[in-house]
Amino acid sequence: MTVTNMSQGKRFFASDNVYLPHLAIIEKIIEETPGVKTFHFNFKDEKLRKEFSFKSGQFAEYSVLGVGEAPFCISSSPSRSDHLEFATQQVGKVTNALHRLGVGAEIGVRGPYGNGFPLDFLEGKNLIFVGGGIGLAPLRSLIWNAIDNRGKYENIDIIYGARSPGDLCFKYDLDTWDKDKTINIVSTIDKEDKGWSGRVGFVPKVLEEVAPSASNAVAIVCGPPVMIRFTFPVLIKLGFTPGQMITTLEKKMKCGIGKCGRCNIGNLYVCRDGPVFTYAQIKNFVSSEY
Amino acid sequence: MSTSKKINKKDIGKILSQWNQEFTVLVPSKEGDVSKMARWDGKDTGFMDSHRNTVQPVKTNFFPPMEEMFSFQKDKEGYHIEPVSPGEHKLLIFAIRPCDANALAILDVAFKDGYEDPYYLSRRKGTVLIGLGCTNPYDSCFCTSMGSSPSDSTNVDIMLTDIGDEFLIEEITETGKEMIARTEELEEAKKADEAKAKQVKEASYNKVTRKIDTKDIDKKLLACFENKDYWEEVSAKCISCGICTFLCPTCYCFDINDDSFKKQGARFRSWDSCAFPVYTRMPMENPREEKWRRVRQKVCHKFEFFPMNFGSIACVGCGRCIRLCPVNWDITQAIESVPEIT
Repeated sequence: MTVTNMSQGKRFFASDNVYLPHLAIIEKIIEETPGVKTFHFNFKDEKLRKEFSFKSGQFAEYSVLGVGEAPFCISSSPSRSDHLEFATQQVGKVTNALHRLGVGAEIGVRGPYGNGFPLDFLEGKNLIFVGGGIGLAPLRSLIWNAIDNRGKYENIDIIYGARSPGDLCFKYDLDTWDKDKTINIVSTIDKEDKGWSGRVGFVPKVLEEVAPSASNAVAIVCGPPVMIRFTFPVLIKLGFTPGQMITTLEKKMKCGIGKCGRCNIGNLYVCRDGPVFTYAQIKNFVSSEY
Repeated sequence: MSTSKKINKKDIGKILSQWNQEFTVLVPSKEGDVSKMARWDGKDTGFMDSHRNTVQPVKTNFFPPMEEMFSFQKDKEGYHIEPVSPGEHKLLIFAIRPCDANALAILDVAFKDGYEDPYYLSRRKGTVLIGLGCTNPYDSCFCTSMGSSPSDSTNVDIMLTDIGDEFLIEEITETGKEMIARTEELEEAKKADEAKAKQVKEASYNKVTRKIDTKDIDKKLLACFENKDYWEEVSAKCISCGICTFLCPTCYCFDINDDSFKKQGARFRSWDSCAFPVYTRMPMENPREEKWRRVRQKVCHKFEFFPMNFGSIACVGCGRCIRLCPVNWDITQAIESVPEIT
């Protein structure tokens, strides 16, 4: 007897072996903040480049061959597929190796894995994005996807914050979304800063001040674990039910396909049953394991 | 006319030799202090005298402690990746105990679900299991509490039962039936032999004295997930050495790492354990820094999370963890002391 909640989407294996990476070339590198980079890449294989598809919220495993492999969400939108993107902070062995690469370097890519955001469920609703720091990366894929399919969704509200103005990621997106009259965006930084004339306050606190309506709304949350942990109670206070709160989580991963065992929250594997979860799915384990 | 056969224990070598033509025959062997299933040398059958169960679990033959996944090298054109294919091994495992055979069924589910694991599955394909019922269980054995028994033949192809000087041989699967049909030197079993086997099986069942109650264990564990006091007490002795994981026939956590020198290298996987502090460690945080969270994970994975996903408890009652834990940590004690749901 087997049960799998995995995405039944298309799979792209090299040589029938799910563990083999495809080779890809880095085409552009953007330094989002000191320590966070976005990588634009494309698969070496022409056929794969044309055929590859994914859903917002899915991730891939990226290799620096010889150093290791790590999972990052695909931060570009499926609706803009002339290239693919991922963003990563420089924190460990693999990310340090990635940050040392230049344009033209070859990396390995396996994926897409994970379940992606539930677009059918989100259609016709008000979307409230709550993001912190580099947590904007998976949300960004969905935000652009929603903008490119604007008619399918009602209001789009974005509440996004970082430690300081220099830590805000995807500033070019924030500017564009600010100018978009169909989107409300509130940016905030944690503490007062000379160069900043906007809002100040932790994201959960600003969320409480902005107080978006829970009526026909879904909140999509991503950021550092502590931010997520403090955001959920605020959403509950604002009247969101556990099924109206979606988050995308990250854990230490290796295989990315639900086999090596390490990324579980309860009986759910973040790589296989997530990384997108509703609060209802994980609330039994979230305060303790996350 | 019964369909069972039998063979004198002295003549075991004769049927192993025949099977050796077609399969790689593994038998219980001893390498220093560690007993394990290893390649039959073609002659020795003395292992039957002392075999109770191997220390090393049978999973080792399908999911080795370390294996290469692919190699790569870099030249002017870029990287070239060479996959490693373990190929089919056509193993015949002789005298596997029911608990270990049941464990393989659990691993099969884990390695097949969702994405198929090519390394485990290619080694596993075509494996024939010749089960041997236990007549001398350890006091650490508790298979009878895990839906099994010392004579459980659910997951073997042929089942042997020790009836004194002889083994009764029963066909269990189609594969087993075909093999028995083409194996020479087997005698027909008499009704008296089958009656003796039945007696032996009942007696062995009663020799398993360690028992646990797994009724509603998944619900009980869910209810006490946040009970830090309980888990701190349960985990107090554990030294996070991981021996239980390595010796457990149903544990399958693994790590993946790259190794390289100049322009070539390989990616390999190796056994890992949820008991290790670094198992879930990320650069910025570790959700299981404290030992009680890791011990909780081990118990809950086996008795709550795996059943929630796949319908069966991921423990076969082989008792290796109890027998060989350096601090005598006892999972049956942990299960028996889970608080009732209030």
